[in-house]
Formats: sequence, C-alpha cells, structure tokens
Amino acid sequence: MAKPPEPIEDVLPRATWIVDAEVTEVLKTGSAPPKAEAAPGATSTGQKTAAQTVKLKVKRVLKGQDVAELVVEKPEAGYALKAGNHGPFLIDSTKTILGRYGPDSYSFERIQKALAAS
Amino acid sequence: MPMRISDSKLASLYAAFERQQQSSAGFKLGREQALEILSMVGDRSGWSATKVLAELKKPGLSQDAQVALAAKGLSKSEKKDLEAILDQGTVKLDPGAKAFLEAVVGRTGGGGGGGGGVNGLSVTGDQKDGLTGVTKAGATIEAINITTAPGGRLHMDDTMVIGKADANGKFSMAKLTGDQAMREGDLIRMRARYADGTTSDWMTVKAKGIEAKDSRNAVVALFRIGLADTGSGKVSVENINASRQVSEPGAKLQFTNLRTNEKTQVTITDLGGFPDGFKLNGKAGDSFSVAATDGTNNSAFTTAVGNVTVPGGNPGGTDLIPDPALHRDELNADGTPKFGKKSYTGPLFIDGAKAGDVQQGQIGNCYFPAAMAALAQHHPDAVQNMIKDNGDGTYTVTFKQQDWATGGRYKDVQIKVDGDLYTRSWGGPLYGHSSNSSDPKKMELWFPLIEKAYAQWKGSYDSIGNGGHVSDVFEDCLGVSTSSMGLSYSSLDSVWSRITKNVDEKKAIGAGTYGEDQEAKYTNTGVYADHAYSVLGYEKAANGERYVLMRNPWGESEPAGNGPNDGVFKLKLQDFTKLYQTMYFVS
Repeated sequence: MAKPPEPIEDVLPRATWIVDAEVTEVLKTGSAPPKAEAAPGATSTGQKTAAQTVKLKVKRVLKGQDVAELVVEKPEAGYALKAGNHGPFLIDSTKTILGRYGPDSYSFERIQKALAAS
Repeated sequence: MPMRISDSKLASLYAAFERQQQSSAGFKLGREQALEILSMVGDRSGWSATKVLAELKKPGLSQDAQVALAAKGLSKSEKKDLEAILDQGTVKLDPGAKAFLEAVVGRTGGGGGGGGGVNGLSVTGDQKDGLTGVTKAGATIEAINITTAPGGRLHMDDTMVIGKADANGKFSMAKLTGDQAMREGDLIRMRARYADGTTSDWMTVKAKGIEAKDSRNAVVALFRIGLADTGSGKVSVENINASRQVSEPGAKLQFTNLRTNEKTQVTITDLGGFPDGFKLNGKAGDSFSVAATDGTNNSAFTTAVGNVTVPGGNPGGTDLIPDPALHRDELNADGTPKFGKKSYTGPLFIDGAKAGDVQQGQIGNCYFPAAMAALAQHHPDAVQNMIKDNGDGTYTVTFKQQDWATGGRYKDVQIKVDGDLYTRSWGGPLYGHSSNSSDPKKMELWFPLIEKAYAQWKGSYDSIGNGGHVSDVFEDCLGVSTSSMGLSYSSLDSVWSRITKNVDEKKAIGAGTYGEDQEAKYTNTGVYADHAYSVLGYEKAANGERYVLMRNPWGESEPAGNGPNDGVFKLKLQDFTKLYQTMYFVS
C-alpha cells in the first residue's frame, strides 16, 4: 500500500484490545483481491493481499479485557501474516486488526505514549 | 611630513628605490626588495649587509627564522626607519612585503614573513594562477569562497584543502574548484593548518588578477532570511541559520517593502548575517524585494534577487490559485472534500533542502517523497532552485518535460501554486509535509509545495496518488535521463558498483520493494512492501561487510537497531537485494 500508517490518534479510539501477541496459526485465507492497475515496477500501487483469519497467542494486554488467545480477522490490506509474526495488535470490537500494517503499524513506545495522552 | 631615514645605508638604498619608481610607474617594493632593506638594518650583529642578505636568502630558512634574524640586528632607530618606510614611504609596497616588514617591527605576531595579513599566513601577488603566499613549512592551505558559499549549505569554516607549503613555507597555484572556483572580486576566507594540527588566524583575500573586471555580485541566500512581525509596525530580520551565511561579509542588501515602497539598506556582518536588532518597517503579510551589491556590481540595487514575505499575513483570505483536487479517498460520495485547507506561510527552506525534511502524507505516492528526499540528499541545489517565492503568497515550481518538437530536449514547465494545504481536523497537513513543524507559520514549505505543484501539473492529488516510479520524478525535476536495475538478477558487485558510483557522483538513487504476492515476507522486517525508499549512501565496514543507507519517506518506521526512529537505516547489501526489487537512478 505504501501509505504511512494512519495517525494513531485516528485508530486508538476504535481499539477494543491492544495486545502484545504472536500469530500461532493462519486459520483461513480469503480470495485474492483484484490486481491494482499500475505500471510494471511502480510502487504505492495500492495492491492489497487477501483477508486472513489468524490465531493470536497473547503475551500482554495493554488495553481491554485480559485474554490469553484471540482469533482475529486481518482485512484485505497491504501486508500479510504468517505464523511467528508478532508485535502490538490493535483490534476493534469485531475482532478485526486495525492499522494499515497490522503489528508493524506502531511501536509499543508510540502506543503507550498515545494511551497516556488519551 | 617628509619621510626621514636615519640609517645612511638604508637611506641610500631607499633613494635608489625612489629613482626606480620614477622611471617605472608600476614599480613596487616586493619580497626581494624587503630582504634588501632588512639586510641593511640586520648588520648590527656584526655581519655585513651582503652576509645578512645571504643568510636571509639561505635555502631552507623558515619565515619565522628570517623575521627573527632581521629583528635580532634591529636597533631602535632602525626600527623607526622601517616604520617610516611602512607608514610614510613614497615607494609602493606590495602586501607581502608590507606584512613581512610589519612582522619584523613586531606589528604582527611573527611567522608571517613575506606576505599579507595575519599571524602565520600571508598572501602575495594576485590570484591569476591561484593563491600564492607563505606560511610555515609543510602547512596545508584551507580555503572557502565566501562569495559563493551562501548559495550552498556551507558554514564559513567548511573549507577545502587547496595547497601545501613547501619546506620554505611557500605555496602557490592553490585553487578552489567547482562551485567555489575563484572569480574576480570573490572573497576567499583562508587559513593555514600546521603539521601539529594548530592553525594560523583566518584571513580574507579579495581575489584579483583573474578577470578584467569583477562581474559576480554577492550571492544572497534568501531562504535564510527570517522575518517576523514584532508589532508596532516593525519586522525583525535575522539569519535563521546563524552558522551559515546570508551573503558575503560587507555586502549591502536593500529591502524594498512592496506595499509601501520604502527602501532600507543593511550591511552584512563579518559572519555573513545581519547586525543584531536589525528591523524593517512593515507588518505580517508584507513582502519585501531584496537586492544586493558587493560594492562593485549592482551598486544601484537595480536587479533584485527575489522576494521574502513576513509570515502570518493573510493573502486576502481568498484562494489565490485554485488548488489541485483531493485524492478520491478523501472525497465524499457526492464529490465534496472531506478535508479543509489552511494557508501556510512558513519559510520555503530552513537550512537548505535535506532528505530529513520530507514526510510522506496520507497518499499513495511514496515514489514522490522518496525521490524528493534522494534529490535533496544528492542534488540539494537543484531542489532549492526549482521553487521560488513570488512574494505575493504564491510560489513558482519549475519542472522539466521532454519537448519532442525540439527532438526530445527538456523544456521548463512552470507551475504556480499558493500556500494553501489540505489539513486534518486537528490541524496537521493531510498530504506531504515537513518534519520541523506542523504550525502553518513555521512549517518548512519546499516539499509540500513542490508536491502540490506536481499534483497541479499532473491533474490532481488523485493523479499522483496511485503509484508511480521514482525515476519519473528524477526526470521531471532534473530533466535528465534515468535508468533502473532489477535486483533479483543482478550480482551483488554490480549493485554495489552502481550505488557507490551514483553516491560518489552525487546522483540521485532510489529503490522499490516487491508488491504483489510477496507482502508476507516483509512483516516484522521493518521494511514495507510495495514501497519506495531513498538511497542516501553506503558504508563498508572494517570487516568488508557492505551496507546500503536507506530512508523511508514516512520519516519513521525502520528495521530495529537503527537508532532514532527517523526512517533512516542501513541494510547489508545482500539483504538489500533480497528485500528490494528495483533500483532507480540518475544515469
């Protein structure tokens, strides 16, 4: 996608959970989205990857109810998940992962600062 | 009062010089004649004048030793004689000879024998063949052209080594090169650096003998002129980067208030800036035309350098120039914009154009900020030259376009924009912005306005916000041919060779990651799929490991372990070729 992550101020209010977690399993992968129209070799084409359903092993909860495991949806986006991927996951009330790049959208430090300011 | 020389032999020698001057109008006392004079006054040690002269001319004798030898035999009356020659002499002295004699009588701190100006360093003759002079044996000569320096990003101490003194302390044909090449009338700031690391005092030479006339005026760095409304009808004027010059020392700048037509002149200080407390009559929103003179060129201030504007002015509260439409993602279903605009009035440049200024906004045009950051890194002057403040709340950006009517030569395409930028509800700019501030009065504007002009030129933010190529931007900004290199089938050595060549030659270079179907390999790497990056440089470690220095145009988000989260990081060459698909470069 190559747009920067959305401003965290826009995303944080929608996060029911913020967890430090690791993908343990990809349970399901949706169909591939249509190809973005772009010249060969171009960047920022907006190409998205298929939606996924993944299982997260939660190490730490920064916001939301305590939970040890979550099954969540990764929407069609500019990133894909596989087992072993880890980091901060912001998850909304429908158990969909927020942030344009999932666990690579925001650092823990930035999330904690934003939480402290909110 | 007529000059009086008490030493009879010296008086006789000086009379001979006077006769020589009468028969040859251009005659001056130079270094040879200075040594003859000293041989006459150095005989108190019991040596004959011939012996003293031979000693003074002895090969390998340092300038310090020459001065010491002459001073050793100097009586009070002889010293007065030398002072009379210096102060009341009827025969002209060239600067080198003058400085030499002054060192002998103790007017300078010594070590400056034979040449003109400061403790430890002197310059003789003209600069037709470069700088010639004397200092300590083996010293290197460092210099900077402070007439041209304001146009670049140089401090007054950012010298280059231009020569080395021989065993006698003499140096010659020392020349500045490139943008700093000396022209008639240029001011050259220089010093000597001795073998022990200490330096002489700074001295400034006004270049002469190079051309028939001085035709280069003082350069003015308009982007370093900071204006602020201080109330009561006054506008403060300061150098917003005091460590770099606004113009050459001694140059005069004339500010003309375009609203009132009042003209105010100021002389640039020895440090290249404005005198403390310098103010103009005016208010926020006023624009001033700036003209400069070095005392020779443009002395009537007839030619202006450009305009500067006092921030905070309201350019009429109306849209001066229709703005490019938003990207489709930022439009409501009925086509109305989701975001409003604000008028930005900050400086175009703070400290010149730098890669770190560039911050990609919420638009899919990573290729554009990645290219602009690479251009700022490798072609900062070209970036500074492509945008101009018109002084009326508008700016003109000049792009390049191939003109097939002239066989494919590049022609200028000038796009005019105003300072309005789309903003978020909480105030920050929506699209490209700068790292220094989001305050409309303070944000550095060159990048967001060049991006806005690019959108204007191409049709809208939507036209530039759905992917593209870094190399197209290089071409559109520089008017040069570009190339690309697929990394999956190129050898490490050929990739390394291309990177080092471009970086060393200061030619822009960028790289793009893989997109379709390969996104999964990027998660948790700190590098992002379908994304363009600037290549800032390279490093080779002591163990031979080769690294590529990269920058994410977001100005953040990078692989772990790369210091502050500013988007700048380095990758091993083999990792670079795995994570990146294509390299784009100015060829």
